[in-house]
Amino acid sequence: MQILPFYLVCDESGSMNGDPLNSINSALPELHKEISTNPTVADKTRFALIGFSDTATVLQPLVDLSDIDSLPALAAGGLTAYGEAFRTLLRSIETDVEALKAQGHEVYRPVVFFLSDGGPTDEGWMDAHKDLTEARYRPNIIAFGIGEADRHTIGHVANFRAFMQEDTSVSPAAALREFAASLTRSIVRSANSIAADGGGGFNLAVDDTVPGFTTVSLDKL
Amino acid sequence: MTIDDGADVPLGGLHPDRKIGDGGQGEVHTLTGLPGVLYKSYREPRQVVGGALTDLVAVRQALAAPDRAVLDTATAWPLCRVTDRGQVTGFLMYEAPASMTWTAGDGSTRLTELQYLLRPAKAAWKAVEQPAPTQRYVLAVALVELLDRLHAMGLILGDLSQANVLWTLRPAPAVFLLDCDGLRLAGRPPVLAQADTPDWQDPKAPPGQASVDGDRYKAALAVGRILCQDAYVRPGSHLDLVPGVLDDRREHAVRRLHEEADGAHGTRPHLGQWRIALAGRETIRLAAAEPAPRPQIDPAKFDGVRRRGNISLRD
Repeated sequence: MQILPFYLVCDESGSMNGDPLNSINSALPELHKEISTNPTVADKTRFALIGFSDTATVLQPLVDLSDIDSLPALAAGGLTAYGEAFRTLLRSIETDVEALKAQGHEVYRPVVFFLSDGGPTDEGWMDAHKDLTEARYRPNIIAFGIGEADRHTIGHVANFRAFMQEDTSVSPAAALREFAASLTRSIVRSANSIAADGGGGFNLAVDDTVPGFTTVSLDKL
Repeated sequence: MTIDDGADVPLGGLHPDRKIGDGGQGEVHTLTGLPGVLYKSYREPRQVVGGALTDLVAVRQALAAPDRAVLDTATAWPLCRVTDRGQVTGFLMYEAPASMTWTAGDGSTRLTELQYLLRPAKAAWKAVEQPAPTQRYVLAVALVELLDRLHAMGLILGDLSQANVLWTLRPAPAVFLLDCDGLRLAGRPPVLAQADTPDWQDPKAPPGQASVDGDRYKAALAVGRILCQDAYVRPGSHLDLVPGVLDDRREHAVRRLHEEADGAHGTRPHLGQWRIALAGRETIRLAAAEPAPRPQIDPAKFDGVRRRGNISLRD
């Protein structure tokens, strides 16, 4: 089977407290429902959830979403250590890809949906990012910035597509619901272009625009 | 009433309501004031071959009432085109039967797609009632009979997949075909360029339009996958049949046809052969008649000495 792993790497620093994290937590059951009730999509994708603040935690190790019926919730507290997030993500990807291969699967380059509402508060995060984006299993990263996140930093984190919530007419909570819906669409549409035997490759389907966000041009950064 | 006579209906006269489907080619909406009827709108109306959609509407209109009822029971056929200032924007179709839906844990209604028949049940969709082996067999027969009828009407299916066939066990096992604007009449263009669904392509099909033989390959895929409860088994690989789904005679016949479907493009078993195999009938092998011997030819009768004159090219 051809497998496309998705990682949701979500900022759960103190500033995400309240509506922002509540929005993500309440959107995750919707994501789970869409994927787990579509076995053709569930067969070909896996999902992991990593929360980061001062440290990064693999809240849900990579899993077939139809095999679980609960997810650990994101909980706010602490600062915004991007470096911890990237190091934990790279370790997870390396372990997960090897494990999937050992099970006889072929694995497509992982896809990361990265979300933050602030700038990095740790030293050395750029080295950790470089290690991640130059690794053998370097993922395609789609980065979303809300609140105090810096446009240039979000553009640097992404290597596939980047979005900033800059439209104040849309609440962060509404924008985050759109973020989660965009992630769900990406999983469903990408999986629907994958053949089980790998014939014909696949298209990584990521929205060009997400309501409530402006698209950050990576080329200019 | 245009649903009855198939004439075009103006978009301005419709009141699209809730969006219930969103695919690559367009969206599907319910209609206020027209319960049980859906409107499929195309995302790129200018790419639509309006005449091809007219052909499909005409196919249904040409049927006698009982045959039309059979078609409506088994397919979401285009009832009439929807137009806006001369441009085809979509078409109307009947909603899938309520018996071919299921209710997810959050109360939302979902279509009972073929994909739920092709793998062991998971907790997330445990509300989909799984068939007993004999019901699974009847579902395979129902799909083969539907495809056979469509071929007999001169139609080519093109795409057949885990998502465009619905099924139910109640009140009796039955199937229902979606996305019928993807069909085309043999020799005519499709309404829109059709893409095959991954895992449902015919690997030996020549590039270009869908063909009857491609449909036959996909029928073999569907039959094998239904009978094995395996979403990915293909002709050329072993059929691990669900225990009790076929008796010995049918199993032998199905295995033979499934192997034959792995043959070159143009040689796949037709739907009638699948019907016979699944019906469990004995087949009688007929010896092909020997061609009559050609008579000996005496070349002397044809190749005598030739006398050529000259043709004057001047007046």
